[in-house]
Amino acid sequence: MHNTVTLPEGCILSVENLSMHFGGLKAVDDLSFAVKEREIFGLIGPNGAGKTTVFNCITQFYRPKEGRILFNAGRKGESLRPMNLVGLPVHRIIRLGMVRTFQNVEVIKELSLIDNVLIGAHIKFKATVLEQALKLPRARREEKAISEKAVEALDFLGIADRKDLLAGGQPYGVLKKVELARTLMSEPRLIIMDEPAAGLNDSETDALAQSIRKIRDTFGCAVLLVEHDMRLVMDVCDRICAISFGKFLALGTAREIQTSKLVQEAYLGEEEE
Amino acid sequence: MIAKIYKNPYIRFILFGVLAAMVPTLADWGVIRFGTITTLTQVIYFGIAALGLNLLLGYSGSISLGTAGFMGLGAYIAAYVLSDLNMSFLLGILIAILVPTAIGILVGLVSLRISGLYLAIATLCVSEILLESFRQATDITGGMSGKRTSFPSIFGYTFDRASTFIFLVAVLVLVMILTYNLVNSHLGRAFNAMRGSEVAAQAMGVNLLKYRLIAFALATAYAGLAGALCAYYIRAVSPTQWSLNLSLLCLAAVVIGGFRSIYGTVLGAFVVWAVPDLFLKRLPIIGDNPAIPFIFNGVLIIVVIMFYPHGLVHITHDARKLLNKLKKRGKGDADA
Repeated sequence: MHNTVTLPEGCILSVENLSMHFGGLKAVDDLSFAVKEREIFGLIGPNGAGKTTVFNCITQFYRPKEGRILFNAGRKGESLRPMNLVGLPVHRIIRLGMVRTFQNVEVIKELSLIDNVLIGAHIKFKATVLEQALKLPRARREEKAISEKAVEALDFLGIADRKDLLAGGQPYGVLKKVELARTLMSEPRLIIMDEPAAGLNDSETDALAQSIRKIRDTFGCAVLLVEHDMRLVMDVCDRICAISFGKFLALGTAREIQTSKLVQEAYLGEEEE
Repeated sequence: MIAKIYKNPYIRFILFGVLAAMVPTLADWGVIRFGTITTLTQVIYFGIAALGLNLLLGYSGSISLGTAGFMGLGAYIAAYVLSDLNMSFLLGILIAILVPTAIGILVGLVSLRISGLYLAIATLCVSEILLESFRQATDITGGMSGKRTSFPSIFGYTFDRASTFIFLVAVLVLVMILTYNLVNSHLGRAFNAMRGSEVAAQAMGVNLLKYRLIAFALATAYAGLAGALCAYYIRAVSPTQWSLNLSLLCLAAVVIGGFRSIYGTVLGAFVVWAVPDLFLKRLPIIGDNPAIPFIFNGVLIIVVIMFYPHGLVHITHDARKLLNKLKKRGKGDADA
């Protein structure tokens, strides 16, 4: 069944006719859009538009009843296998080359920053429990190699100097960066970020926009943002999909979205009041 | 140089072991009483079981009230292999680890889909089933009157009380080192991730069921080992030892000593199993009351949870901080 799916040309992710409802409430209604390879794609909409629900459907935290989530699966260096993600266990998704961040950062407070980043490399460790307990050569080797990579990832985001500090006492902006560094560890081809700018001030948001572009340019992966902050979206996204009450409104570049009547009514119009 | 060696965690564990292994010598010299050795032995084997429980509860965030049952299973198996099959005690220890672990995995497969209070009840049930089996399977376990075994021997050397104690210390140090390696590897991080944020753990590729199962299997393996050591030291196994009370005491050791702390767990075991015997019983008037250890532990759990949620092991940390502060203040006064 998985090998019969085909994605639109040049696309890494294709959401097709997605619907999701909670009881009588239709959170997502027949929504379709596609993200291209190496593209920064924004999904926007007013509060309660169903953005995060779409997000959770893609990552299989929710099981959509209708529609397909097609993904051109394969981590860097692997051959690509287009497949429908619906019904896969959540922990399998990262192995396919898609990794997510969380709206309210989900880091482990009791661990150091570098250990938090190393959690993102979970799928790269091969040593068995016994090898780890006895610290046999393979366990030691991969721990060393992957730790070095984690330092690189922290360095890439400019927080390597804090690597041994506990996540518990760190400011929000740093924790957001830790989450980003964590996603890089799995060598993904698509990173999806749930409201990355939430809780950041203006200068932090600008820095975030730079980081996102830098991640795309350096690692060649696509980025899907679910975002509330219009400034970040307009600034950083190649294309944007606007939704309202779970329904598709418009798709296009930042300029096209800004000039769209439908979007202005549903979203921007509210802000101008 | 010396400071560097002292900071090496492995050297610290071995140093701890060497100090602990001197206890029988101290008894020979008359510094401590011989009865103290038996009390400290309890600390060792119950401490190992508590370490397993700390892996499960402190690191992975699942609970178990089945520690005692699996310990009992390990103890009976160890005694059976040594006394009935007349095989090496090392083989006995190995089987006493493997069989409870296998049963633990089976139990885990069924019960780890639930969590929290329900998991506690499920594991308690398993423990009680095991306990009842010990009472009923009289051919193997000797039923209510229990089962006797002997001191283990190897290459013609038969262990006595003192050398068994040293052997137990060696095993404890080994277990501490293995535990240290595990919690500082990707397994430990996966456990931490699972406890800290289930959604993040899943999103990072941690299969929750698989890692809960590994944590549960490790906890039962430690319990099986602890049971075997207990059987070889006491040389008798009876069903009354493996009641819910023991599981709760293991839990108390983890809570009092400190979640996610190896030394903390051993400290907790010392507080739970040695402090009542060594100190409380000597107190005038109240010392004779058999309820004192329970009251002591109960009060201590409340106090620790209220004021030291990370466990008593952090007292040293805080004391050092206070000392530094006082030093600084002293210096400040001198400068002024």
